[in-house]
Amino acid sequence: MTDLTEQLPEGEAPNLRARALGFWRLFARNRPAVLGLAILIGVIVLAAIAPIIYPDNPFSLAGRPMSPPFGEWIFGTDTLGRDVMAGIAHGARTSLMIGLVATVVAVVFGTLMGALAGYYGGWIDDLLMRITEVFQTIPSFVFAILLVAIMSPSIQSIIIAIAVVSWPALARLVRGEFLSMKNREFVQASVVMGVPDWKIILIQILPNCLSPVIVAGSLLVATAILIESGLSFLGLGDPNVMSWGFQVGAGRTVLRRAWWICTFPGVAILLTVLAINLVGEGLNDALNPRLRERKG
Amino acid sequence: MGRHSRILAAIGLSLALVTGPALAQQSGGTLVQVTVPEPPNLASYLSTSGPIGQVAAKVYEGLIDVGDGLTLKPSLAESWTVSEDGKTITFKLREGVTWHDGKPFTSADVQYGIMNVLREVHPRGGATLKVIEAVETPDDYTAVFKLSEPAPYLMISLNGYESPIVAKHLFEGTDPRENPTANAPVGTGPFKFVEWQKGQFVRLDKNENYWQEGKPYLDRVVVRFIADASTRTAAIENGEVHFGAFGAIPNIDVPRLGEMPEIDVTTKGYEYVAPIMQLQFNVTKAPFDNPLVRKAIATALDRQFVIDNIWFGFGKPATGPIHSAFEPSGIFTTDGVESFEVDDRIAKANAMLDEAGLPRDADGIRFRMIHDLTPYGEEWRRFGEYVKQVLAELGIAAELRYEDVATWLKRVYTDYDYEMSSNWLYGLPDPVLGVHRQYHSNQIRPGTVFVNGTKWSSPETDALMDAASVENDPKKRAELYHDFQRQIVDASPIIFMHELEFTTVHSANLKNAVMGPLGVYHSFADAYFEQ
Repeated sequence: MTDLTEQLPEGEAPNLRARALGFWRLFARNRPAVLGLAILIGVIVLAAIAPIIYPDNPFSLAGRPMSPPFGEWIFGTDTLGRDVMAGIAHGARTSLMIGLVATVVAVVFGTLMGALAGYYGGWIDDLLMRITEVFQTIPSFVFAILLVAIMSPSIQSIIIAIAVVSWPALARLVRGEFLSMKNREFVQASVVMGVPDWKIILIQILPNCLSPVIVAGSLLVATAILIESGLSFLGLGDPNVMSWGFQVGAGRTVLRRAWWICTFPGVAILLTVLAINLVGEGLNDALNPRLRERKG
Repeated sequence: MGRHSRILAAIGLSLALVTGPALAQQSGGTLVQVTVPEPPNLASYLSTSGPIGQVAAKVYEGLIDVGDGLTLKPSLAESWTVSEDGKTITFKLREGVTWHDGKPFTSADVQYGIMNVLREVHPRGGATLKVIEAVETPDDYTAVFKLSEPAPYLMISLNGYESPIVAKHLFEGTDPRENPTANAPVGTGPFKFVEWQKGQFVRLDKNENYWQEGKPYLDRVVVRFIADASTRTAAIENGEVHFGAFGAIPNIDVPRLGEMPEIDVTTKGYEYVAPIMQLQFNVTKAPFDNPLVRKAIATALDRQFVIDNIWFGFGKPATGPIHSAFEPSGIFTTDGVESFEVDDRIAKANAMLDEAGLPRDADGIRFRMIHDLTPYGEEWRRFGEYVKQVLAELGIAAELRYEDVATWLKRVYTDYDYEMSSNWLYGLPDPVLGVHRQYHSNQIRPGTVFVNGTKWSSPETDALMDAASVENDPKKRAELYHDFQRQIVDASPIIFMHELEFTTVHSANLKNAVMGPLGVYHSFADAYFEQ
């Protein structure tokens, strides 16, 4: 039973407030991560207030096509006269939504596959890992294009496609964690005590390998946003939904004449993906403090 | 000075005028044309595919040639006469023409080429040439076409792109689909095939024995295949390539290239294909069964806005089912044809929808619909987005659907499972070939693409089309088509958006590159480089 205490980080009282504060202190030690968090909060706020500041449909023809930026429209208008800033604000909703939903789906499915494979081993492991390998051998972006093309472009099909190409990496990660955990004493003790398998997986092992999953998951959000942008850029986005990739794709052909149409949404993608990566890095530091100390 | 000397001087002057420009045409040089994509073969007797025609039209010729205004010009046939009843056409063939392999060209080639090759395997030949019951060859240089009924559209389709004449001695006794000339064409044209490096280029050399004295001027034509659009633009920019047509150079780059002194841009040379961009309805689906609803949408759309902002200024507002390229032949008219060019588009369109009995609900929405987009790329998506916004102003909530080409074609032409779709079709050089297919009741053929996908037809327009396809008097025929244009636009099963304009980009010192309505589907017999 002494093993149970090992689950808690050393030297911390099991007080939630104090733990949160400690976590934040660890996170805040990584200055770029704080900056990333600030940008990310900015994007979330923008997404939240988009319908208030731009109540019109972002596709509506607001004014003269290809008006330059910093005039009547802060970021100008595109080839059809749509307000680029309105598109960025509404696109933030799409990008964040797709990033989060696709990641949740991929994390849940990947964790399940990895946990089963890692815990049971043997033929189950073989079978699940061979399936995972099939998915891993196909270049993920090409596979996503194929899936969206088959299912017709829509928000649902894009989320499914991103989740399908993203889960194998998580399954691998979780399987590795489970392999290293399942022979630890506290797990074996649970087995001896007759705890059912699902309880051991969910209650004993999973909480112990959550930190790498959280870090991987946060980076997956960034990848998902990039894949969605790439699909929209190639014309495989949902034609009824405004997104950053769509804006970049629509403005690409007139880059020489109207640089602002794809520049500002492009910067939005860059900042958001960068922010999420920085936050992910900060989470990694905060969740694995010993790793950082070793590095530092 | 007597009268005679003045006449002589006049003759001399006119001779100078006639020969003057000819002297400026210098021989020599290699023309590099870029074509996309690389054609699967060079058998223009088997396929109307654009890239094939772009190469094969330099090698093969037809009985006639197409001049400006879609007029007929002699080619392999020196002259022709049409009988009183329109059912016999006698061609006098040119003497002294030889195939690229040295054998003489005779009426036997015409007979075999028309009856055994084009009528059998050419995709459009089956329809356009089916009226030819027999080709008689009283002597080597006379070919007599016996028709089952008058066919005013037949003559123009006998050009070298649409109906290439092939050599009997190379085809006789073989299956035309398997003939080796598919990859190494042998014709009578100004350039003869030399080699094809797959994935890279086709090389065509000057035909020294060409029947047009002194032509061609060029020593060689090389057709290169460059897959990447920006590489093609760069190649024409630095003079590596001299000629590109049919979107080989992306429209977006064209205005910039056009400003360069060493490059010329033209939208001529596409009158033969006469493409019109359209929005078509499935008229069996409510509320699009009501012409008023269709016309309301036609009124609301700003054609010039679409041309300027989506097609980069290339295009011309369309007025009806017939392309304005038919203006010289008198077939095209706007007289009495309803026009949708009004000032207060949205207000008028809304009034029409009110009149159609489609009131707005509490959310301001009259009805919901799905708008299918032509899956041909960026412009079509932008157009769909534009249409959706305009429809929103009319209280029509439209959702856009963008599928792959095969799914979309099946949806529109097999399942008719759509309400409104954008589309574009070639008008081709005669309405019988390119226009009838979209409106005639006998063209509602599930599974056949680019025919009547709206399911709209009327006994009146059917009768007009039937009459026009056998009417040999150009004036009467034009009147039939005027009536046809009025009736079609009045019913508007299709909204005519604009006449698509393609661009040909070529080096400024390359002269006579585009000769007549066939454009790139014509030979380079007259092309030359100005030093």
